[in-house]
Order: sequence, then C-alpha cells, then structure tokens
Amino acid sequence: MRKILAVWATKLAILGSKLLGKNGSSMPGSLALKICPDILTRLSGDIKKDIIAVWGTNGKTTTNNMISTVLEEQGYKVVCNKVGSNMLPGVVTAFISFSSLTGKVKADYACLEMDEAYARIILQYLTPTKIVITNLFRDQMDRYGEIDTTISYIQMALDKAKDAVLILNGDDPLTASLGLKHKNTRYYGITENLGLNLNETREGRYCRVCGNELKYDFYQYGQLGKYHCSKCGFSRPMPQYDGKNITADDYVSFDVCDTHVDLPCKGIYNIYNALAAFSFCDTCGIEKQDIAKGLQKYKGQVGRMEEFTIKGKLVVFNLAKNPASFNQSIGNIINEKRTKDVIIGINDNDPDGNDVSWLWDVDFEKLNNDTITSYTTSGIRSKDMAVRFKYAGIDTDKMTVGGDMRQDILNAVNGSGERVYMVVNYTLLFSTKKILSELEAES
Amino acid sequence: MKLKIAHLYPDLLNLYGDIGNITTIRKRCEWRGIQTQVDSIYGNEKINFTDYDLVFLGGGSDREQLLVRDKLIAMKKEISAYVEDGGVLAAVCGGYQLLGSYYKLEKETIPGLEILNIQTEVGETRLISNVVLESEKFGTIVGFENHGGRTYINDHTPLGKVIYGNGNNGKDGFEGVLYKNVIATYLHGALLPKNPVLSDYIIKMMLEQRGLPSDLKPLDDTIEENAHKYVVDRFVNKN
Repeated sequence: MRKILAVWATKLAILGSKLLGKNGSSMPGSLALKICPDILTRLSGDIKKDIIAVWGTNGKTTTNNMISTVLEEQGYKVVCNKVGSNMLPGVVTAFISFSSLTGKVKADYACLEMDEAYARIILQYLTPTKIVITNLFRDQMDRYGEIDTTISYIQMALDKAKDAVLILNGDDPLTASLGLKHKNTRYYGITENLGLNLNETREGRYCRVCGNELKYDFYQYGQLGKYHCSKCGFSRPMPQYDGKNITADDYVSFDVCDTHVDLPCKGIYNIYNALAAFSFCDTCGIEKQDIAKGLQKYKGQVGRMEEFTIKGKLVVFNLAKNPASFNQSIGNIINEKRTKDVIIGINDNDPDGNDVSWLWDVDFEKLNNDTITSYTTSGIRSKDMAVRFKYAGIDTDKMTVGGDMRQDILNAVNGSGERVYMVVNYTLLFSTKKILSELEAES
Repeated sequence: MKLKIAHLYPDLLNLYGDIGNITTIRKRCEWRGIQTQVDSIYGNEKINFTDYDLVFLGGGSDREQLLVRDKLIAMKKEISAYVEDGGVLAAVCGGYQLLGSYYKLEKETIPGLEILNIQTEVGETRLISNVVLESEKFGTIVGFENHGGRTYINDHTPLGKVIYGNGNNGKDGFEGVLYKNVIATYLHGALLPKNPVLSDYIIKMMLEQRGLPSDLKPLDDTIEENAHKYVVDRFVNKN
C-alpha cells in the first residue's frame, strides 16, 4: 500500500514539476523515499533482464543513453535516468515515471547512471547485473576530497555486486585496476595511437597495485593510453572490444569486432562512450550489426556539442564539468578551422563544485589561437575565468568579462567570427540551453 | 639574468590547480621583462637547491604524499640549509604539512621535514571552504581550502587571520605560516593569481635574495583585483 501511495504521490510531483518547467528530477524521488523507504527494491524487482549501472567521471550520461537507445531500437522496454539525475532520488524518479499506477514496472532493462559517491548507497536497494565504468578523472574535488576517495567509494559499491559482469575502460589504469579482483570482467579500449598530443594534468600515473611509476608507450588523452608497470607487471589489458580505423575529423566513426560504427556525434571521447555501449550490448547477445544501427540513432543530450542557429550564425554549445572534459571541448574548438567567438561560463554551485581551482588544471593556453576572434567569460565565477584567460596569455583587449548570459551570447553572436563556441559547466547547462532556444526562436 | 624555479614532483603534488601559482610567477615576471626558467623535478633527481630562486611544493593525495615524503626526507639537510639561508619556498596544503614535525594519522605518525615547528593531526572531517584572510603585510588574501589535517603553528607568524573559512585548524583563527622567506598555506584557488600583492612579494624576495634591484614595475591588475574583490564581497561583505 505504501508503495502505491508513493507511486501516486511521486507521479503527481513529476507532473507538477514538469508544469513548472523544472528539469531536475530528483525532488519527486525524494518524496517517494519519504513515503516508502524501500521503494527502489520493490520496483527494481520487476526488471526482466538486466539492471545496468554506469559509473565514471565523464561520459556516464552519453554512454547510458547510447545503451538505452540500442535496447529500445531492439524493441525492449527500458527504465533510464536520461537527464543525468544520478543520485538515489533521481534513480527512484526514473523507476516511478515508468511504473503503472499499481506500481508495476513492465520493463526489460534498467539503465542507470550513478554518481560515483552515491552508487554504494543506491546498491543497498538494488543489485546491478552488469556494471560499466567509463573513466576516472579529477572532478568536483571539494565534494569527494580526492580521487582516491572516489575510487574507494566505487570499490565499496563493487563489493556489493560481486556477481555482476564488469565492463571497464582498459585504457584508463585507474578504471582497469578495479577489474583485477573482480571475477567476471571485460575490457574495451583503443589500441591504435590516436596521436592527439594534448598536454594535460594526468591522474594516477602511479600503479595502484604497487605504487611504482607507470610507463606509457603513448597517451590518448588524460591518463588514458598504453601503460604498464615495470615493477609488478600490471599493464593495460588487451581489450575484447578494440576500437580501430578511427576517424574523427567531423562526425566520428570506427570499427569494433569487425563491425563498422558511424556515430551521429563529434568528439573523440564519444568513441570511448560508444565502445562502452557496444561492449555492454554485445554481452546482452544483440547482433553486432544491430548495435551499430542502434548507435546511429543516438540523439545527443543537452549541451553535448548541441547546435543552435541564432541570427544566421551557428552556435555550438558544450557542457564540460572538469579538466578532462574541458580539455576535450578545447580540442573541439581549435580543431574547427573557421573563425569563432568563444564563451566560457563557470558557476560554483554545489553540483559544480564550490572550488574553482581546477580552472588552473585546464589547458586554456591552447585557446591562444588565431581562429578565435573574442573571448567572453560568463557565470557566477566569470571574474575568475577572466584571470585564467589573462594568465593563459590571451590578449585582454579581446576579452569581455560578462555574467549576464543572454547578453554575453548576443555579444558573441554579433562578433566577427563565423561561429560561436560555448562551453559551460553543470549548473549553467539548462539555463543556458533555455536562453539559446529562446534566441533561436526569436531569430 | 634568469630567475630559476624548482617545481618539486609536479607529477605527484599537483592537486587543485596549484600549477596556477607557477603560471602566475612566470607571467608576472615575463610582463616585466624578467626571464624565468621552471625545472620540474621528478623521481630520484638530486636537486642543488642553491641553483634556485624559488622552490615550490604543492599538495597531493595522501597516497601520493607518502611517496614524495621519503624523497624529501632524503634531502632534509639541503632543504633546511636553503630555507635558513633565506631561500624562497612556497608550500601549499600537503607541501605545507610536510614542512612540519609530523602528520599524525589515526594509526601512524608520519615524520616531516622539521623546517617549521608546526604539527598536524588528522581531523574527523575535511575543512572545505572559500577563505578570506586579513594580513598586516598583504591586506586581504583570498583562496579555497580543502584539508583533513589540523595544523598547529605554535609561535610561528601566521600568513593571516581568518575572516571567512576555517584556516589552519578551524579553532585558533589563523591560516598558514610566514617564516623567513617561506610562505606556507592551505590555500588553493590557485592562491597567487587572485592575490597579486602576494605574488609580487614572492618575486621581490627572489630578486633580493639574488642581490638584484627589487623595485617592480607596476602592472595593470584590474582583472585580478576584480576577481579578488568578488570573493571578499561575497563572503565577507555579503554583497
């Protein structure tokens, strides 16, 4: 009875928050948990096939949505926390949105991205049968302390799911080391050297088994690459799912397991996300060609290289939450040969991390580039970002310290560049998207 | 003439954007026509401290700090001689703790370099906050702290008095240590970019220690000062 009451109340709350135009989906779930604390155990018991957990610093939302797209293309019913509400209440909301009024969840799969620190809490209520871990980078450290803490949280969660099939990014030594003690592990990766030559902060260059410095044959980006420890023998595992013949000049494509995959999105990191999704779907017994077809149907999420046209000018909008994803976004900007005006928006709300020190770990020096005609900073910490630009050697005459996002976008659109590139962090995502959609509709 | 900076173990002690401090010293020298050279010191390299005008020691994760500690302890005498001779040393967070007598964890006590008479004990929670300090020498100082250790500085001169945030231990109202030409602090931010007064003080110390004229050409710091003022206004003046 409590379950049904919780389902009804939560469905009403979801409807209410939609009417108010709110994007967040954790509030209704919090309500359900108050009424029926073990609601998640009850609802997740209905899942017919697999409960999938997707963890990792970057690429969780994309990977999770790629997986659910492929599954849905196969005709499966899928519970999925699509908008990235990835703590306990967000997961509850996803289940209740899907359930009938009598509290039945008629779904084959549940695809759940989970916050690294909260996974161990969510796993008190449900046990995933398969777990995908994308990568472990430096992120929001004032919340987790440091990356070692994050890894210990993930290990605690893994200890609760000892029988799950574990699918890991083998190119990341931090992620790959999590598979050493797990009995059923598969790896994906890219064996060919992509030759990106990014100069960035690298996490975990030291062997997690023995502490010795890892030796790298090459880096892809961040600490991802071909590594081994000369002391204890820990090394990059040979991936069962190996991305080959990669092209990423515009939309990315690659081969895996003799299957060609074309993705409808840009950015090298999406190859890793797609490899993760491919690996998972293969373990579900889906035909490889069908996985490739499904991945082609994937629609990018808010702020993942999303494109808007404002006053006839293309505005490319990207979310970046931490140094690794910022460096990727910067790569996208400088790979674009056309001239452009650039906006960087930085907030410091709790979900962003209150500490903006990480801006100094981002390679903004790379934006010192002739194709960029102006630099605007926006968000709560626009002034910090302006300091960062100045010390990256950017001409202060080309800089505008903004803060009113609508005005900042309009200024950039009126700039002399052929395009506008915007990168914002998490809590600026939805508000900026709203402004961009409005400006697009107005023009 | 070239000012030389030793960045100790940047691969291990590189938490929270502390590299921004080095970027800032370099740029503020460059804008004044002073050349700099930064040597990243890795692994088991032997360092000749007298070659350097600034030694920078950042913070790392607990695990990484343990790896570094042994390397530094092996050079204890040399570092101590460098500091006592007026060598300029900037240490942040884990680097700050390492300069003291020890860092007491739950189960073990890790001896430090004993350059400062300070002691650190692990606390129950991490102290995480924006920070504003008041200092007689530098005016306000802004930064961000994130540390599990509580540091007690005995008779040392603090870097500043805490007017927002926790500081050394969350109790006595002080943050950091100033000792000879050592600046040691928990503050990230990175610390120097938004505190140009502190940055220039370090550059002056470097020049003086070399026996060079230390009158610095003034720079236009509007952008830095605005970012500094934003933090003071938001957390202290509550604007």
